[in-house]
Amino acid sequence: MEAFQHLLTGFGHALSLEYLAYAFVGCTLGTLVGVLPGLGPAAGTAILIPLTFKLDPTGAIIMLAAIYYGAMYGGTITSVLINVPGEAASVITCIDGHAMAKQGRGGTALGIAAIGSFIGGIVATIALVVVAPPLARLGLLFGPPEFFALMVLGLSLVTGLAGRSLLAALLMTIIGLVLAMIGIDPVRGAPRFTFGVPELYDGVGFIPVVMGLFGISEILLMAESPAREVIKTKLTGLLPSREEWRSSLRAIWRGTGIGFALGLIPGIGSIIPTFMAYIAEKRLSKTPERFGQGAIEGVAAPETANNAYANAALIPFFTLGIPSSPTIAVLMGAFIINGLTPGPFLFQERPDLVWTVIASLFIGNVILLILNLPLVGLWARLLHIPYQYLCTGVLLFCVLGAYSLQQSVFDVWLMIVFGVIGYFFRKLDLPLAPLVLGLILGPFIEKSMRTSLEMSGGDFSIFATRPLCVTLLVAAVVVLAAAALRLVPARVREAESV
Amino acid sequence: MNVRHGLITAGAGLAGLSVMVMAVSVGYGMKDALGPGAGFFSFWLSLIGGLLSVGLLASAWRGTAPGELGASLFPKGDAARRCVAMLAAVVLAALLIEPLGYRLTAAALVAGLLYALEARGHVAIWLFAAAASFGVYHVFMNWLLVPLPGGALGF
Amino acid sequence: MKSASRLIVGMFALIAAAPAFAGKHDFPNKPLRMMIAFAAGGSTDIGARIVASIAEKDFKQPIVVVNRGGAGGQVGWTELSRQRADGYSIGFINLPATNTVVLDPERKAIFKIEDFVPIINQVLDPGVVYVRADSPYKTMKDLIEAARKSPNTIRTATTGILSDDHLAILMVEESAPGSAFRIVHLAGGADQQRELLAGNIDVAFDNVGGWTPRVRAKEFRALAVLDPQRSKFLPDVPTMRELGYPKVVSNSTRGIAGPKGIPAPVVKHLETVFKKAMESPEHLEKLEAAGLTVRIMVGEEYAKYYRETHEKARHYTEWAKKRPHR
Repeated sequence: MEAFQHLLTGFGHALSLEYLAYAFVGCTLGTLVGVLPGLGPAAGTAILIPLTFKLDPTGAIIMLAAIYYGAMYGGTITSVLINVPGEAASVITCIDGHAMAKQGRGGTALGIAAIGSFIGGIVATIALVVVAPPLARLGLLFGPPEFFALMVLGLSLVTGLAGRSLLAALLMTIIGLVLAMIGIDPVRGAPRFTFGVPELYDGVGFIPVVMGLFGISEILLMAESPAREVIKTKLTGLLPSREEWRSSLRAIWRGTGIGFALGLIPGIGSIIPTFMAYIAEKRLSKTPERFGQGAIEGVAAPETANNAYANAALIPFFTLGIPSSPTIAVLMGAFIINGLTPGPFLFQERPDLVWTVIASLFIGNVILLILNLPLVGLWARLLHIPYQYLCTGVLLFCVLGAYSLQQSVFDVWLMIVFGVIGYFFRKLDLPLAPLVLGLILGPFIEKSMRTSLEMSGGDFSIFATRPLCVTLLVAAVVVLAAAALRLVPARVREAESV
Repeated sequence: MNVRHGLITAGAGLAGLSVMVMAVSVGYGMKDALGPGAGFFSFWLSLIGGLLSVGLLASAWRGTAPGELGASLFPKGDAARRCVAMLAAVVLAALLIEPLGYRLTAAALVAGLLYALEARGHVAIWLFAAAASFGVYHVFMNWLLVPLPGGALGF
Repeated sequence: MKSASRLIVGMFALIAAAPAFAGKHDFPNKPLRMMIAFAAGGSTDIGARIVASIAEKDFKQPIVVVNRGGAGGQVGWTELSRQRADGYSIGFINLPATNTVVLDPERKAIFKIEDFVPIINQVLDPGVVYVRADSPYKTMKDLIEAARKSPNTIRTATTGILSDDHLAILMVEESAPGSAFRIVHLAGGADQQRELLAGNIDVAFDNVGGWTPRVRAKEFRALAVLDPQRSKFLPDVPTMRELGYPKVVSNSTRGIAGPKGIPAPVVKHLETVFKKAMESPEHLEKLEAAGLTVRIMVGEEYAKYYRETHEKARHYTEWAKKRPHR
């Protein structure tokens, strides 16, 4: 097959010492960028663009791409160890990942995340090679109405996130949705709920809010009861048990599938695949109560989905020239600065460059695994330092992170406010994940509905006449109905026992 | 004050907030030439949210809400002191980071917090503080190319 | 605090304060901060980073590029208007986008157009009308005819509410009475390309930058350029003036500006250095490779353009606000 021939040539180039070095540096920098919350893949890649001016285009792109998916893993480290999501996509890893860390199993969590990320990334890259152009066209089937329906489906899945109280989960989702409405609205293009605060014109910053809700609340809780929060058990074996391997592997395959499929849809963002993979895993598990208390699948699934998504999202970028996320947009900027335009044209014009970059994607995934697995034990040991230093360090980390996002003190204040809110919500047993889900999906839902109506000239039937859209909406209704039905027997039982 | 009280307060607070959001939403317009107006979703969402908050309040009142309803909501004694110290540190950081500059703020707060949390060893504390302030500053400014505030004193 | 610790802190303070006593010399004597009101990787960002990397060498000080995107640029421009007017904080403004933010009362902008001092313009990206290559509209005339025959049905995309493309559509409707387009607001050129390919929109109004290679690859067709002269990137595409609509002139300019009150000699120095950077072969080459048209305007010329664009935008913004299907 022609593709494989090209790929082999690509490997030939990519395995040169120079390009290997770039990939290695990129992965390292990327992991670092992912670990420092304020940076995040987009900002980190942007900072490093000037560096790439000095390299040749292929080398520059290899390095930037490596930074991009390296950052995905970096975010995991902080999520697991200190409950601070390094970047948006790692939010859901905090839930079970950090729980595992508190049980002394942080190393295991990081290890399975590395392995899952590797598998997810490699599979997605293979798919990129084999099925890229035809599959990419599938992604085009998702127009604004389908986006809307997909987001509604995503929201309906919050019923799967609900712990013991569906009411609390729904309430938190709504809080998240309403919070998401702060900022410029898609209808008039005018600010909404900003009450004259210009920093809110773009909405509440997602990263400061999430760092506050998860990270600051965590250190407040840790300061309050250090004995309870800090790990008691020693660092037992780093490897998961046989039983856990089996369930993790299942989670990994499912995560890969979900991450990959969603990566083909341009513009969906990295958080949604992780949430969906987590929820799917929880639903399909025979023991869903374990989720939230340190279930290894709760780490394996989202982490794999994350990397599968990141690599798959490069498909619409390479084949159609459509960037799926702000980070890829930065990558695209790098292409353009170097005089290249991604798209089918590029495949024809510069196959050597494209296939070298694709080959280095494989290599990069391997490098990441080699870089991170051995360090896992080291990272996990971090949690054993005296709690005073840990708390103080994390606090500084969060302040740095929130501030360096936009060099704005406002973001720090935002983080503090949500930190206090998060602290109390956790004490009140009100779940944070649905709030985050609402916060993420809110803008998408409203904007895609609005755009759909602009397309149809105000005609709502657009949602009923497009087959994919209808399918997704029906699926959402089914999920909600199933959740409602499960409540009924519980109510009846409750009534009968009174 | 225990968790049950906390839930009741939260429920009431959220319900009140919902009413306010609903009022503001109406001002943004419920309908538009093409469909829902700018205030449409926020109105209905906060209405549902308000009802759910009342539901939360009710379930807490009757004692049917899940979780340890009797547990204490606020920390006490030493724990409270530690929490307040953390909070004070982060608030001071926000207030001082720009006027005083990153390095001074970080050094002072890290050291102060470690003392407040009763960490041991003066040398360790100050070394950590120095690394956290001057060390981090150097890394951010020179290696990561991310600017941190210099402060009025020039650093 | 123990006295030993106090001593250490005092020593640190003295050492670190020393540079402040070193004495000031000419502008610039510390890094400059360049604010971009859009996300990294966008075309404003690309052009800005290129010129910054060249101008740095002449300033002998680094130019730190900061992205403060959001709210269609409003967040970044608000921030810029609040900076100290010492010449160290400058940023990119995009006309007419900056104008419409000020002119739209609902936006509640806290800055007015007089709050900025224009320094030098870099790019003038003419507006272009694109369709998919297999579209039934082979010429601009076809499109306008269709817009007359079935008003409000042709799904026409902009890059945002009150963007230059939005105003351009209104200009076309004004020059071709009876025509009406169904306006769809998308988030940018990449979005437009995707929806055009997917068939969710029929026409896209955008600028030259970002489309040329794909037009050459026959994925999209450009129907008209909204500029008095043809674009060198799309030499075969007629201008609206040639087609008989000379009043339809629309573009997006990106230029450097600062908060008002920067001392005149500092402005002059900034103008000189940036002009030199923009005229350098490296700059011209890189921007051409990115598909961006350089149009340097400086001093009074830029100030005049600034005022004129504002007045023109005022007319169309008011109309846009009144139009039922915005």
